[in-house]
Amino acid sequence: MLDKQKKANKDLIAWLSSMKFAIYLLILVGAVTALGTIIPQGEAPAFYLHTYGDGVGAVINLLTLGHLYQAWWFYLLMLVLTLAILVCAFQRLRRARSITTAGSLVFHLAIVVILAGAGWSLGYARSALVDVAEQQAVNLADYGFGAGQLTLNSFAIEYYPDFQPRQYTSDISLTGYEQQDYNLKINVNNPLQAGNLKVYQSNWGWMLKIKATTNGSTQVMDIKDYDTFPLGPGPDNAVRVIFLPDYAEDQHGAFSRTTLPNNPCLGLSLLQSGRTVDMALIAPGEEVRMGQYRFSFEDYAYYSGLQIKYDPGVNLVFAGFILLLLGLLGRYWRLFFAREGD
Amino acid sequence: MAENLLMGTFLLLVLAVLINLARLWSPATWLDKAAPLPMYLAAAFLLVILALRVTDSGRLPLANMYEFSVFMVLIILLGYFFMRRSLAAPVFDLAVALLLTLLFAMLGSLPSDLRPLMPALQSRWLTAHVATAILAYSAFAIAFCLGIIYLVEANQEEAALKVIDRRIYRLVVWGFALLTLVIVTGAVWAEEVWGNWWSWDPKETWSLVTWVVYAAYLHARRTSEWKGRRSAWLVVIGFLVVLFTLFGVSILLPGLHSYA
Repeated sequence: MLDKQKKANKDLIAWLSSMKFAIYLLILVGAVTALGTIIPQGEAPAFYLHTYGDGVGAVINLLTLGHLYQAWWFYLLMLVLTLAILVCAFQRLRRARSITTAGSLVFHLAIVVILAGAGWSLGYARSALVDVAEQQAVNLADYGFGAGQLTLNSFAIEYYPDFQPRQYTSDISLTGYEQQDYNLKINVNNPLQAGNLKVYQSNWGWMLKIKATTNGSTQVMDIKDYDTFPLGPGPDNAVRVIFLPDYAEDQHGAFSRTTLPNNPCLGLSLLQSGRTVDMALIAPGEEVRMGQYRFSFEDYAYYSGLQIKYDPGVNLVFAGFILLLLGLLGRYWRLFFAREGD
Repeated sequence: MAENLLMGTFLLLVLAVLINLARLWSPATWLDKAAPLPMYLAAAFLLVILALRVTDSGRLPLANMYEFSVFMVLIILLGYFFMRRSLAAPVFDLAVALLLTLLFAMLGSLPSDLRPLMPALQSRWLTAHVATAILAYSAFAIAFCLGIIYLVEANQEEAALKVIDRRIYRLVVWGFALLTLVIVTGAVWAEEVWGNWWSWDPKETWSLVTWVVYAAYLHARRTSEWKGRRSAWLVVIGFLVVLFTLFGVSILLPGLHSYA
C-alpha cells in the first residue's frame, strides 16, 4: 500500500517535471491570459448575461471569466506553474554544473521570485487616488497608509506651442512619514519615493470656490469642475459647476479655447430633484441670483490627482527581473557570444 | 517626399514578390541576380524616410505605431540580407518579400503625422523598450519565414531541414531574450509612470502570451515528440500572435498603450 502511494507520488513528480507537461501548461497559461483580453474585464454579472446571452453569460459568471486575473482558479494555475518550476528546478539542482544549466535554473527560479513578489503585493499593496487642491494637505492615515501629511504646494502644466500638454508637475511635501520629510517636484514618469510608498502625478483639474447665500445663511464650497454639490436647506437642491478657463462663444454656444485661465468663466446649474431649473455664467468676483440663492464665484485653483501607493512586493519583483535576465544570459551565453549553442 | 518614398518602397516590395514568383515558376540565373535588388533599394528608401523623420522631429523615430512599423520593416530587411548570404532559397526570398509587402500595406492605414511626445512617453525607458521590441519582433518575423520554408519543404533531405531548424532556433532565442527585455523594461517603466508594474493592459497581456508561446517552442524543441514540424508550427503561430499583439490589439482592444 505504502509502495503504491510512493509510486504514485513519484509518477506525479515525474509528470509535473516533464517537458511535455511544461509545454501543455505554457499553452494553457497563454490561452487563459489571452481569453481575459477578449472578454471585457471587471463588469457586473448582468453585463455578461446581456452581452453574451443567458447560456454563455451564465458560464462566464460561473467561472468568473469577467474577473479572470483575480479568479481563484487563475491563482491556482499560477500556483501549479510555480510548483512545476520548483519540482523541475529541484531535480536539476544536482546537475547544475555548467553556466548553461545554472543559467536555466536561475531563469526558472526568477519566475517564481516574480510570482512571489506579485503575491506579496496582492496581499499587502494599497493604493488611493487623492485629489488635492493647491495649498491644501491630506492625511495619509485617512486613506489607509501610515502617518504622514501630503501637501500640494503648487501645480503647473507646461505646454507645447500647439497647446498640447508637455508635462504636468506637482510641487509636493510629504512630512512626518516614517520620521522623515520629503519635498519634491513630481511629474509624469517621476514619482516621489519614500521607502515602499510612492506618490504619482496621475490627474488634474480645476477646484472652484463658490459662496451660496440664502435667507441670511452662507455656505462656502470647494467644488471640483463638473461636480454637483448639495445645497442647504432642504435635501433636494444642488449646484453643478462647469469651468471654462478660456471662455469664448460661437454659433454652437460657449466653450473654452484652451485649458489656460486666460478668460475664466463659471457655468452654474441649479438642480432641483436632479432637474436643471436655472443656469448662469459668471466671472470671478461676480454674483448671480438663481432661485432662492445668491451665488458668488470666489476663486479658482488647480487640483492635482495624486496616486499614492504602498507596495512592499515590487522590490522582490524587480529582483526577479534581474535574476531573469542574468539567467537568460547564462543559459544562452554560448549562443549569444560564441557562434555555437546546443 | 516621405510619402513618395513610402509609395516607392511599397512598389519595390511588390516587384520583389513578382520577381521571386517568376523565379519559382521558371528558374533563371538573371532572375536570381535581380531578386535582391529591389530589396536593397527598399532598404535605402526606408533609411531616408527614417532619417527625414529624425531631422524633422529631433528625436529617434520610436514614438508611435507608424515609426515602429517602418523601423521594423528596415530591421527585417537587414536581418534578411544577413541570412541570405548563406541561404539561397527562392522560397525564403518570396516569404520575406510577401511578409514585408503585407506589413507595408498595414502601414498605410496608420497615422504618420508628427506629434510632440505626450507626458507619459517622456521617459528614459522609451528608447530601450521600443528598440528591443523592434529587434525582437524582427527576429520572430524572420524565424516565421524560415518556419514556413521548413513546413513547405518538409520533403527535403534531413540535413537541409536541420540547418533551417538550427537557424530558427537561434533567431527565436535572440527574439525571446529581447522580448524578455521588452517586458521587463515595460514593467519597470509602467511602475514609474502608471504606478503599477503590471495592469493586464491588452498589449501587455498579449506580449506575455507571445512570450509564453515562444517559451513553449523552446521547451518543445527539446522533446522528441515536438521536435521538427510541430516546433515549426509553434514558430508560425508565435508570429501570428506577434502580429496580433502589434496590430490586432491596437485596433480591437483599446487600453493603456493608446499611442501604439
